[in-house]
Amino acid sequence: MIRHIWWVIIPVLVLLFGLLAYGLTSNPKHIPSPLIGKAFPTLQGKDLNGNAVTLGIVDGKPTVVNVWASWCAACRSEHNVLLRGARRYGDSISLVAINYKDELSNAKRWLNQLGNPYQWSFYDLSGRAGLELGVYGVPETFFVNKQGIIVEKISAPLTDKMLADGIALMIK
Amino acid sequence: MNLFIKIIMPILLLSVSSLIFAGDVNEDPLERKVLDIAAKLRCTVCQNQPVAESNSGLAKDMRAVIKEKLQAGRGEKEIMQYFVDRYGDYVLLAPPKSGNGLLIWLLPPALLLLAFYSAIMFMKSRNKEKVVTSPSPLSEADQERIRRARKAMDESGENE
Repeated sequence: MIRHIWWVIIPVLVLLFGLLAYGLTSNPKHIPSPLIGKAFPTLQGKDLNGNAVTLGIVDGKPTVVNVWASWCAACRSEHNVLLRGARRYGDSISLVAINYKDELSNAKRWLNQLGNPYQWSFYDLSGRAGLELGVYGVPETFFVNKQGIIVEKISAPLTDKMLADGIALMIK
Repeated sequence: MNLFIKIIMPILLLSVSSLIFAGDVNEDPLERKVLDIAAKLRCTVCQNQPVAESNSGLAKDMRAVIKEKLQAGRGEKEIMQYFVDRYGDYVLLAPPKSGNGLLIWLLPPALLLLAFYSAIMFMKSRNKEKVVTSPSPLSEADQERIRRARKAMDESGENE
């Protein structure tokens, strides 16, 4: 009888250690977004110049929505990736921004000094638009296809490859 | 007069101050409800802290949204669902009792049952081993020798 028990205990132990190994090696900051596969919400507010704007997919063009802030150090390295991306893919996609909980003057100075890859920036001072999009922090990037469906969300500073992969996903 | 200053005055003063304090702890039921809901939500930027206890910007925003939605007459379930739709099941401090979350709820009791079962099986098998090691029945010749020895003892009167 004792021997039969091992046929149960050993697989259970293997399963538990497997789960433990998976838990220890996976990145706790990588949380799959429930928004992937859902429609991008329509958000109303103002841009950096104070004009009333609607952030939503209206022009039927695949759109990259980048969440950034001037106080975010990682956004600085990402900014060069976005500038290169805007030059390379500018004809086939729209690149818009959500400026997240930022000082308006700092945000404007950032774009003047470093260059502006965005067609326009949604000004989200309260962070409410970010919350509506399940944003954890900055930078974050949404890839939205021309039907307005979010096909990918990256919660990290973009690299050239991540941007290219995301764009490939949304124009597929 | 002396008695008044030494005993009655302090008592009067203390009773007045306690009345003031009692007024201060009167809590807002809406605020309490906000914290009740926030206690069930994970602050997503601080890993394992509830939204109710975190001072991070995101947690403050979430508490503000909870309050706003409560004031708009939304129920607790609806508000929790709002966050789950945007941040996933991860935002719930207690995993849902379905899908992968079910595994987390069922595995500990299942393992406990398995442990009990194997303990019982182990004890049963140990008892069985004892039965196997008990002496084999005596041969007819040996039994005959015992009978003779007992008889001899009875006859010599040494018994008892």
